[in-house]
Amino acid sequence: MNKNRKSRNFMQLSPGWNAFSNATAALFSLLCVFPFLFVVLISFTDEKTLATNGYRLIPEKWSVGAYSYVFETGDMLLKSYGVTILITVVGTLLSLFMISLYSYAISRKSFKYRRFFSLFAVFTMLFNGGMIPTYIIVTQVLGLKDSLWALIWPLAMNAFYIMILRTFYMTSVPDAIVESGKIDGAGEFKIFYRLVLPLSLPGLATIGLFSTLGYWNDWFNALLYIDDPNKVPLQSMLMRIENSMSFIQQNSANSSISLEVMQSLPQDTARMAMVVLATLPIIFAYPFFQRYFVSGLTIGSVKE
Amino acid sequence: MNKGKGRLALIAAMLAIVLVVGACGNNGGNESADGAEETAELIWYTIGTPQKDVTAVMDQVSAYTKEKINATVTMKMIDWGDYQQKMQVNVASGEPMDIIFTSAGGFDYVQNVRKGAFLQIDELLTEYGQGIVDTIDPGFLEGSKVDGHNYGIPANKELPQQEVWRFNQNLLDKYDLDIGKVRSLESLEPLMATIKANEPNVTVFGMDKNHVPYVPYDYLITNLPMAVKLDTDDYKIVNILETDEMKQALATMRKYYQAGYISPEAATVGSTSDLTLSGNWFVDRAQTQPLADNQWSATYGYPVVSTPASDAIITNTSVQGSIMAITANSEYPEKAMEFLNLLNTDPVLRNMVDSGIEGTHYEKIDDNRMRNLPEAKNYDMPSYSLGNNMLLNLNENDPDNKWDVFKEFNAEGVASPILGFNFDSANVSTQMAAIQNVKEQYWSALMTGTVDPDEYLPTALEAFKQAGMDEVITEAQAQLDEWVAEAK
Amino acid sequence: MAGFLKNVMRNRVMLLMVLPGAAWFFFFSYMPLVGTIAAFKEYRFSRDGFWQSLINSENVGWRNFEFLFSTDAAYIITRNTLLYNIAFILIGLVFAVAMAITLSEIVNKRLAKVYQTGMFLPYFLSWVIVGYFVFSFLSMDKGLLNSILSQFGVSSIQWYNEPQYWPYILILVSLWKMVGYNSVVYLAAIMGIDRSLYEAAMIDGASKWQQIRNITIPLLKPIMIIMTLLAVGKIFYADFGLFYSVPRDSGTLYSVTNVIDTYVYRGLKTTGEIGMSTAAGLYQSVVGFVLVMISNYVVRRIDKDSALF
Repeated sequence: MNKNRKSRNFMQLSPGWNAFSNATAALFSLLCVFPFLFVVLISFTDEKTLATNGYRLIPEKWSVGAYSYVFETGDMLLKSYGVTILITVVGTLLSLFMISLYSYAISRKSFKYRRFFSLFAVFTMLFNGGMIPTYIIVTQVLGLKDSLWALIWPLAMNAFYIMILRTFYMTSVPDAIVESGKIDGAGEFKIFYRLVLPLSLPGLATIGLFSTLGYWNDWFNALLYIDDPNKVPLQSMLMRIENSMSFIQQNSANSSISLEVMQSLPQDTARMAMVVLATLPIIFAYPFFQRYFVSGLTIGSVKE
Repeated sequence: MNKGKGRLALIAAMLAIVLVVGACGNNGGNESADGAEETAELIWYTIGTPQKDVTAVMDQVSAYTKEKINATVTMKMIDWGDYQQKMQVNVASGEPMDIIFTSAGGFDYVQNVRKGAFLQIDELLTEYGQGIVDTIDPGFLEGSKVDGHNYGIPANKELPQQEVWRFNQNLLDKYDLDIGKVRSLESLEPLMATIKANEPNVTVFGMDKNHVPYVPYDYLITNLPMAVKLDTDDYKIVNILETDEMKQALATMRKYYQAGYISPEAATVGSTSDLTLSGNWFVDRAQTQPLADNQWSATYGYPVVSTPASDAIITNTSVQGSIMAITANSEYPEKAMEFLNLLNTDPVLRNMVDSGIEGTHYEKIDDNRMRNLPEAKNYDMPSYSLGNNMLLNLNENDPDNKWDVFKEFNAEGVASPILGFNFDSANVSTQMAAIQNVKEQYWSALMTGTVDPDEYLPTALEAFKQAGMDEVITEAQAQLDEWVAEAK
Repeated sequence: MAGFLKNVMRNRVMLLMVLPGAAWFFFFSYMPLVGTIAAFKEYRFSRDGFWQSLINSENVGWRNFEFLFSTDAAYIITRNTLLYNIAFILIGLVFAVAMAITLSEIVNKRLAKVYQTGMFLPYFLSWVIVGYFVFSFLSMDKGLLNSILSQFGVSSIQWYNEPQYWPYILILVSLWKMVGYNSVVYLAAIMGIDRSLYEAAMIDGASKWQQIRNITIPLLKPIMIIMTLLAVGKIFYADFGLFYSVPRDSGTLYSVTNVIDTYVYRGLKTTGEIGMSTAAGLYQSVVGFVLVMISNYVVRRIDKDSALF
């Protein structure tokens, strides 16, 4: 296969076709990025011009007022950043821990109950109790209302990832390695983290990144479970300021802001500035992780 | 066969483990080891934008109440727009709570009484709440009875409900506008036109998605379309959307919307606080109470004046405008009642809850007069929802006879024809749920003038009909006729 | 029994490994499953906790489902969920394959990579952020679209109040978010096609278009079928964020934006009727289950390895 790819003769592609392909792909790619750029432009618009002109591609008057306002009342943004980072890190580690152990065990042929536990996981993909019973269990039985754990636990496991990782173990961790570990007298756990884990890092990286993205972008769980303004993650905060900036003002520790400053606050542009600030980490990080998502997608859909 | 047995046993073993784990988690001890009476930890849900200093103030409150009645208080605030929904879910799912704010508009009092959300407090009231009975206007306790029983403590405040137009006085002065002739929705037009022409960036008519034009009807259930005309003599229940008054109001709203007086986002926006904060508005509608203008001006930091938009009517909605109920699942119902009794009779506690910590959030000027300190904005509470208003300290610019004015206002209010009638929707609960859904779909857009009533009103009426509006009205009419017959 | 204990002892390490995950499934998947009994109850909360309340609540049989089907609610939410998902699947497939072929035809692979990175961006953004993006275009007084319209003398459109546009908007937004990501799978498959096939075709004088039609598409067919069938399995589940956050929860749009998931959520919020909302959720689970089983059965017949189970 590789040999064939190398022998591909590029000269046989007509220049017109190539140009057309380039143009189409470039256009679509631009369309994908454009809304973000547009929001960046809006956030640098002067609030007064915005009120008269609406959102424009080229603002009549530029301003960084929105950003200086956001930084002045910035502790709310920081707090939300903190919450999001915390749940993302803890959640990803936790889910990697649970998923990798679970899928390793059910990938081992020596495990007598592997079929049972595979089914136990797969069944959850097929049939679920739905939003409301889950809500009641999480708040009433587990008592996680208004707790950061309510943002972490519900996303910690996923039967689909388990199946992906199980396939990964079965195909890329040879039995011989495990057997050799046994001969050396190592216990199952030792074999797992000394021999198996290093081999399965690419698979874990993929799952870990999907999980990270899931936590970072989650707002639904916060919508359901979080009332305390100090525990609101980034995405959920953006949702709360959609209607009114009072959420920010109310929860800002900076009490030196005078009524006057608050009254002149750049509401529309500040909102967009928040969106930009909340998106930046993703914008910077995703190109580097892109290939892991690609590999995850290919493992997930075309299991070999 | 053996294999099947093994699997069963495995499931059983897992269940056992999980149950043991679960049980351990649930036993968070309320049991105190020594025989002394344990301190009750009351959880209090109330409405309003969550304030930064709530915890600090509640620590002070708890220190005070612990000494007085051996109870501590945790207050949880839920923002205006979310209150109804969040409490709905909290109550339905059994969230631990002791005291919750309820009202005809917020988290519907009567409907939730029927659903069993609140504890019936007749006995508790006699035993632990004598202070309340002695202090507050009997009209409140009487008006908040459902099927002859009390389920909550109304706040002692203004009894009738009166709608006003509020104006941003800076703009009135700038364009030398006179509000003397303003009363009806239509009479606002010339003023709004002036502002629109001269101040393109000002939202002329501020409102959020809960806005409903005023019409002289009293609603069976706030925010649902069944209503009775205020000057009725036949006690006929109608769908408010079918009345001429509402049709005209909707047409006017539409006209205003098209003229650009109303924000295009009004039907989806949950709060006008951005507007009131920035002062970028000209007029809106609000419920008033005596001396409200002072209060508003003080809160917003710029002058606000108002003029009546309706008569002062005592309705179920106004009587049940602010109630504190003890939840059906409260762990400490007696303590909760003792606390409510204290809150409604003890000025120290009441003012602490309302204004925060003396020296931090406010300072005393003299015996019963106070002034807000800058920190007050970290503890800015809605007074109406927190118990007996007449115990509150006066603000700097309040007249000495403030509470007498209130009592006068209360005495002058006219009773609605259906004051005291509480609809029981148990027989039509399926229809009610469907009507609720239809309302969610059409209400805001119609009421804010966002859509054309000529086109949408027939559609909405048809949808309400399909949801079972006629059956609900028939059922309600039967109950109302019976109630009228009994009352006579 | 003794045999069982012995087996447990022998497998204790493995059992220990699955324990955390199994406990999670128990709490977050299996207990809610039992909770769906609420669909057959007039659920009323009592002081003794959820399970006791469930037992104490009055049995109402199918009444909660009656509510769903007595109005046209069930019809509308089912119709919306199905039609949108079908549109997403079919149009998404066409665009993803087309984009994959386009990318594969670009000579400069580095440029192709850059384009791909751009297309990938929307996948990484949350629906809340996408909602803001859409708002910047559709806002009624400030949005870009209305100001462009006004430059052409067209009166501005009340985007958030006019249902007729939303089927297109939602499909566009969904495509925008997913096409770049989905095209990756097809691109990988195209890269795997034996180049000698194309060379042979070129010698025979086949045009580019003929090559795509006669070589690329037929060879992609199996994976297209599998991807589609897998998506069909999830056709009864809608993307909550797309239907809730992007239309800003606007009531006038419900007729075209209400799907089963948003209906359940709103039912809980506005009426607090646990029983009725759970019933709607259960309806979704049951029909969804049947659809997954069917699609999986078909996938299994075509390509055993691609089946979920």
